[in-house]
Amino acid sequence: MAGSPLAQARVLAQMALRSLASHKVKSLIVGSIMVFGTALVVVGTSLLDSVEAGMERSIVKSLSGHLQLYDAEAKDDLALFGGATMGGDDYGEVPDFGEVQRVVQAQDGVEAVVPMGLGIANMSRGSELDRALDALRRAVEAGDAATREAMIHRVQRLLELTRADLTNSRAITADTTDLDANLAHVERAQQAAFWAPFRGDDLDAKRAALDFLDTQVAPAGGDGVQYYLRYLGTDLPLFARVFDRFRIVEGEPVPEGRRGLLINKRFADSQLKLKVARLLDDLHDAVTLNDARIADDAALTAKARQARSLYGSLTLMLAPEDAAALEAALRAEFPDVAPTDGQSPLDALVQAALTVDDDTLKARYAFFYAQIAPRVALYPFRVGDVLTLRAFTKRGYMKSVNVKVYGTFEFAGLERSELSGAANLVDLMTFRDLYGQMTEAQQAELKAIQAEVGLERVDRADAEDAFFGGDGDSVEKTADGSVFGDFDVARIEREAGTRVADDRPFTREQMVDGVVLNAAVVLKDGVDLDDAQARIQAAVDAAGLRLKVVDWRAASGVIGQFVMVIRGVLLLAIGIIFIVALVIINNSMLMATLERVREIGTLRAIGAQRRFVMAMVMLETLVLGLLSGTVGAGLGAALVSWMGSVGIPAKNDILVFLFSGPRLHPAVGASNLLVALVVILVVSLISTWYPARIATRVQPVEAMREA
Amino acid sequence: MSAPIAADPIVELVGVSKDYPLGKLTVQALRGVDLRIERGAFIAIAGPSGSGKTTLLNLVGCVDVPTAGAVRIEGQSTSELSEKQLTTLRLHKLGFIFQSFNLVGVLDVFQNVELPLLLQGGLTGAERKRRVAEMVDKVGLTPQTRQRPNELSGGQRQRVAIARALVTRPAIVMADEPTANLDSTTGGAIIELMKDINREDHTTFIFSTHDANVMSHARRLVELVDGRIAADHPVAEAD
Ligand SMILES: Nc1ncnc2c1ncn2[C@@H]1O[C@H](COP(=O)(O)OP(=O)(O)OP(=O)(O)O)[C@@H](O)[C@H]1O
Ligand SMILES: [Mg+2]
Repeated sequence: MAGSPLAQARVLAQMALRSLASHKVKSLIVGSIMVFGTALVVVGTSLLDSVEAGMERSIVKSLSGHLQLYDAEAKDDLALFGGATMGGDDYGEVPDFGEVQRVVQAQDGVEAVVPMGLGIANMSRGSELDRALDALRRAVEAGDAATREAMIHRVQRLLELTRADLTNSRAITADTTDLDANLAHVERAQQAAFWAPFRGDDLDAKRAALDFLDTQVAPAGGDGVQYYLRYLGTDLPLFARVFDRFRIVEGEPVPEGRRGLLINKRFADSQLKLKVARLLDDLHDAVTLNDARIADDAALTAKARQARSLYGSLTLMLAPEDAAALEAALRAEFPDVAPTDGQSPLDALVQAALTVDDDTLKARYAFFYAQIAPRVALYPFRVGDVLTLRAFTKRGYMKSVNVKVYGTFEFAGLERSELSGAANLVDLMTFRDLYGQMTEAQQAELKAIQAEVGLERVDRADAEDAFFGGDGDSVEKTADGSVFGDFDVARIEREAGTRVADDRPFTREQMVDGVVLNAAVVLKDGVDLDDAQARIQAAVDAAGLRLKVVDWRAASGVIGQFVMVIRGVLLLAIGIIFIVALVIINNSMLMATLERVREIGTLRAIGAQRRFVMAMVMLETLVLGLLSGTVGAGLGAALVSWMGSVGIPAKNDILVFLFSGPRLHPAVGASNLLVALVVILVVSLISTWYPARIATRVQPVEAMREA
Repeated sequence: MSAPIAADPIVELVGVSKDYPLGKLTVQALRGVDLRIERGAFIAIAGPSGSGKTTLLNLVGCVDVPTAGAVRIEGQSTSELSEKQLTTLRLHKLGFIFQSFNLVGVLDVFQNVELPLLLQGGLTGAERKRRVAEMVDKVGLTPQTRQRPNELSGGQRQRVAIARALVTRPAIVMADEPTANLDSTTGGAIIELMKDINREDHTTFIFSTHDANVMSHARRLVELVDGRIAADHPVAEAD
């Protein structure tokens, strides 16, 4: 068909523009929706891309690597950062990591293959009363009178508090039988006569009094604190090398071939740290980082109140000479503070130091860390300590392992993220001990049994029964398999002084050739993830290893799906906005078409084909879409680059993790703009399709009808 | 192709009927019309309201086809053409002048006149512009070239419509009551303009009217009554 396409297009474009200009209100409404929609797409997808990139940095470079391999028959999906069930997951096992490493390391683009095994162990710390009694017993046994007197004083103080606690509980308890019994024991221990034997020479009388305190009084003084410690067993030197976010904060790395524990600083700060210090940290973070005000925030006010009430937990921990020094320092700071009933002067001063509001927080926080913190134990461990980790093996036996704390670590940029505290690190041998891996001697014995019985394969778990079932030394069998049942906290605490770390060195071969639960694959820069995943899966399949290979998103647990969920929500929001836009554009174009029946009929009468009419109507929305889309994309890009230069603060720890740092600096990619423009143009076309069809049906005789 | 005979009609209607369905009834707008129109004619269709004038022009203008009989434009029966072909025919052979002018409101005078040429294509930009300018000049609107229809008077608008109808140099120009929306002086001037063009270019003009003054300008007058031709006679030159 003849025609001057270019000149036609030009006049059509002009008609479209002018028609838009002459229907200002309609154009403005439809245009605004389009501008908003495009800007939303640009901002939304840019932010999401940035978050995903941030998340990838957080996850890949801290724990997961790019890919994870684990048992193809695992019952649960790997969740490195925690899944729905914390700790109870069954990831199956990888019986021989060495072979996996050889197969995968041979693939192109593989930087490192890091062995891993997740587990949960229990770590406990007795109550203050337990510890005071422990110290008293040692002083008595050693005949150290000065310490003995100091400890007697402390125990008596603690008994006062215990009694007050019990009395309070009694007032709100229905059945007071147990409480009354405990109260009677405590009151007996508070009588002066009870302490008389300690000043005499009769050691047995002292021991009897101590036993009474241990067995009858201490249980009334509250349970010790138990900590659950999620640990990742790995090749620690390799881990430190390939996960470049890993950084030692305090102490030193665990040397090659040694057993050791590295405690996650974030975990220590949020779970292990002294309660009053944690409260002050929270308040300080909220005020300095999130510009919150204590007075305006009920939760912060409650924390401030709680911090103030915890002075006793601090004064009780102080050694006598520290108490004196601190009292002097506090007196200089708070000259006018006087104790209330039942308070010692030191109590009153510490309480004053812990009394914070929006005006005093910064100064008192600094004072706390300068004067009080150095004199008390902020954490239940110190670098160099030997901790007892207890865990259930796969078959439900409890095993305990003594391991030395070499230091604390953090993931750079994620210091404030709770999720980065997901796991502590131990060497692979300690992991295997807690997991229930057999020693070489045990394995040799198993082989002998197999030979004898003539079995092809004895299930490793059955073998574990055979070996560990009757072995009371290192394994405690629990009848019901309940998690960390009631064990004697006081006893464990007393053992602490005599704990000896398992410090047998191991060779690289011993470490590599053994069971792990999963393995991280770190790829070299620029290697295509999907391609590598497919190649590695093919390689392990070919080698007959029954493993599945998943990417970091799938391996990280719930958090990995987070971006997908947000993307879904964003898509839904964009979808809804565009459906609304579709309906509005459709309606207004339909109305415009009906208003223009005579004009369209005229065009048809003077020789315009249907195609021309179609193009005319479509072009009108397309031009509007293009203009609005450009404006919207420009606005969106401007908004994103503004956010990029200012940075979006990560207001909570999940955001720190998602942003891979304290602030997200989003950037607009060409793809974000392109996607937005394409989307808006497609929406324009779809929404105008029906009105345009109607327009093409207008008959040329319509031109003849009189208005 | 046979040699042109002087009497060869440019438009020929043979036994043309047009029925419109109207609910359960059928309106017989035209009932067996036979009409031959020679090239270069200047012919008025008259008749009372509802007599079928517009229907007749629509059939000749190829915006509609007859229910029975045949309408032939330069020998080609319109009933045998597809919608697309009819459109092409209108574009190349016919020009339209409407009672309400029917200009494209968002385009200026020049662009309105240019539109049919753009639809036709085939001309260079310069040639097209020259033709449009010439046509605009012919209807006396050069000073208004860049104005939009709503800035023009009724007579000026109808001049634009005439220019638009004639810019493609059509064989036949259809005009359904071209002066009905104009005062008598302006209407007279419009008919004079059409008549001048008819004399100069031998373009065939077929127009309908109620106005006796306008009829007097025609060289031939066809009177319709109730869908039938009641009279068909030449008109003496008025001036
Ligand atoms: N689309 C249509 N549907 C139904 N009936 C129609 C249609 N168009 C015209 N008619 C009828 O056909 C007859 C002829 O109408 P037409 O418009 O041709 O008359 P006209 O001579 O042009 O009248 P007027 O002088 O009022 O313009 C009238 O009775 C009219 O009502
Ligand atoms: Mg009519």
